[in-house]
Amino acid sequence: METVNFVLGGLGGQGILFMTKVLAQAAMKKGLRAMGAETHGMAQRGGSVISHLRLGDVESSLVRTGSARFLLALEENEAYRNIPFLIRGGSIYANAKKDHFPRPEVKPYLDKKGIIYRSVPAEEIAMSLGTPMSSNLALLGFFSAFREGPLTYEELRETIDQVSPDRFKEMNFKVFDTGYKEGSKERS
Amino acid sequence: MMREEIFLGNGAVALGLVEAGCQVVTSYPGTPSSEILPEVVRLVKSEGLDTYVEWSTNEKVALDNAYAAAISGKRAACCMKQVGLNVAADSLMSAAYIGTTGALVIVSCDDPGPHSSQTEQDTRLMARLAKVPVLDPSNPQEAREMAKLAFDLSEEFKIPVILRPAIRVCHARQNLTYGPLKSSDKKASFKKDPGRWAATPRFRFILHGELNEKLRKIARRFETLAAYNFHDLEPGKKYPLGIIAGGVPYSVMRDILTEEDRKDIPLLKIGTPYPFPEGLALEFMAACEKVMVIEETDTVIEYFLRDREKVLGRLSGHVPSEGELVPQVIYGLVSNVLKELDLKPLTGDGDQEAFELVKGLDLPIRRPTLCAGCPHRASFFAIRKGRAKAIFTSDIGCYTLGLNLGGVDTCLDMGAAITMASGFYHAFAQDHVEQPIVATIGDSTFFHSGTAGLLNAVYNKSRFILVILDNEITAMTGMQPTPGIGIRADGSKGNAISLERVVAGCGVDFIEVVDPYDIKSMSGILKKATKYVKDPAGGVAVIIARHPCVIANRKEAIPEPIKVTVTEDCVECSFCLDRFECPALYKDEELGHTAVNEILCTGCGVCLEICPKGAIVEA
Repeated sequence: METVNFVLGGLGGQGILFMTKVLAQAAMKKGLRAMGAETHGMAQRGGSVISHLRLGDVESSLVRTGSARFLLALEENEAYRNIPFLIRGGSIYANAKKDHFPRPEVKPYLDKKGIIYRSVPAEEIAMSLGTPMSSNLALLGFFSAFREGPLTYEELRETIDQVSPDRFKEMNFKVFDTGYKEGSKERS
Repeated sequence: MMREEIFLGNGAVALGLVEAGCQVVTSYPGTPSSEILPEVVRLVKSEGLDTYVEWSTNEKVALDNAYAAAISGKRAACCMKQVGLNVAADSLMSAAYIGTTGALVIVSCDDPGPHSSQTEQDTRLMARLAKVPVLDPSNPQEAREMAKLAFDLSEEFKIPVILRPAIRVCHARQNLTYGPLKSSDKKASFKKDPGRWAATPRFRFILHGELNEKLRKIARRFETLAAYNFHDLEPGKKYPLGIIAGGVPYSVMRDILTEEDRKDIPLLKIGTPYPFPEGLALEFMAACEKVMVIEETDTVIEYFLRDREKVLGRLSGHVPSEGELVPQVIYGLVSNVLKELDLKPLTGDGDQEAFELVKGLDLPIRRPTLCAGCPHRASFFAIRKGRAKAIFTSDIGCYTLGLNLGGVDTCLDMGAAITMASGFYHAFAQDHVEQPIVATIGDSTFFHSGTAGLLNAVYNKSRFILVILDNEITAMTGMQPTPGIGIRADGSKGNAISLERVVAGCGVDFIEVVDPYDIKSMSGILKKATKYVKDPAGGVAVIIARHPCVIANRKEAIPEPIKVTVTEDCVECSFCLDRFECPALYKDEELGHTAVNEILCTGCGVCLEICPKGAIVEA
């Protein structure tokens, strides 16, 4: 399989590491080789946090700029900040209001590079379900609806089942599925 | 039975330690090393092994404890971050001379960037200084294998061995398979030999000679250690350019050459930079007209290459001497060298357009900040308000972020809040200037290296206020327990050490314990402490600001959350945003004044005390 690079961006405390874990675990279950790089320490105290995930036969854990197929951003500015990672024809999935994203200044560049951009109000979804800290799962559900990349909705859902503590399981599914439904609406 | 699991790099190191039968693992937490010991604990518990684990009070303590086990014939390891090895350097240098009977592996994790450290220092240089072998893994799987190699080398040559995973190994994730785990069954046996274990300087000379001989033998071994030192030269072929790399930059370089399909550029990997496998390097250099060296973070391999005419690296200005060599940086450096040598260029354009675009967006810089509800915020607010003119010496931990609140003027190294406070005191007192000084230090940092400085300050008649920010946890590095709460690395109960008694034992006569959430009381005690510091009979005043960390222990930290709101009395002075900087307070453009983000607000209620207009109230 050709290497598939993910970059996940957000702010400390938004659950970037959990999102990366779900993707990596699902890939492993599928028999793929997974390599990733995380942010720990000082930066986790509310600063910009970025996580890299590479599926395929690679040696290094870091994604080089210009080579990420997917950028999943839990915050709008972090989506923009990480644009240089995207490869021609890559995709951005961002937690942002539909009509606001992306800022007009970046559109020409994205269009020129054939980069697809999609956004979902993941935080609003999570909040409306009473679990404001779960916007990561809403975004992941949304992403899975477009059937891009090597991991399917079912595979990701199964992994959420495995990695969620029992008391959060039901809620995690609910948020993930609501994100998925939003994506499915947009896709059809 | 084989299992597959996605390991954090530090988990892979832990797996390697346990697979090697390591019987004793000691550590002091520090990014990027902190997860190694907890991962050892997890593996040891799941297998029911009797491996001894401890969070030691500091890195020197960790090394000495592991060393004693290693001269009792056991397999022992101690884990720390690169600057932690500075603290343990005294032990390391001496242990190298004396050697071991069992095995001692020191895992010292580097932080190129730096991401979470005060320096970018290179552990490989420390190994060279101490004259001990060092292994430099490129990814988690290799770190795991090298951990086992390190034990074998240490045991065979009776010498401490350093494993130095850099942050991109420590915090990488990789799926690994592993089988049943077993610890070594070596029993402790210490053979008295004071001539060695307590060698006097005259015998140290002899031990130094023995150490040098060990290194010569290990160097020969490394020449043929094909698993970690290898190149892909074709016999007899000559190349205009070859690349030598080690550690994380090797894995990046390997990926770039594969992606670009550049078989015309041979690559030499150095997995054991010291003692240096010079023969292999000479063989590589003989086949290449020029050689580019890519290593993190200092010049180690480059120094060992004698033919400087051929070498393109830091010394020739082809590689930057600071900062992390992330893939796009390495890509750019190789591109430049290829251009300079008039060789076929790489295919990428360096993504300059995208970088320019992002730069032009003026995105907000997200500086790290203390969490909502953090008791340190309350302490800093009171300190800043009560002692505005003081010099604020501080220390290493979450509370370094008191910088944002104007409550931190210095941060040198572990324990320096106290030592620098006494240094400042004497520097000003010499000129008959009464300079107020307030030092802040965390509980774990105080246990790590606060006491020597504190008793020195008392002994030498310094005068300052020391606030020990006691959140009952080592928070920044991921919530490790402290001696203060007495929980041990494996979760069992140890003996809790009373901060008050330690402080009293250092000779301090003014000790007050206060809950910093109660800003009024904290301010009152600060006033009292100020008086004591100025009093002819006074001295160092210690305030223990005790409140649990909200992340580690939310329920205990905030048993009854208070709902707060901002009223129309808010005049948008931004005082709360600048001086209190709670992530839950923000300027609401629609409301036209400050508001509370209910998702982020923990309900600590401390902000009720801070608004000059009284606009922050209970909802």
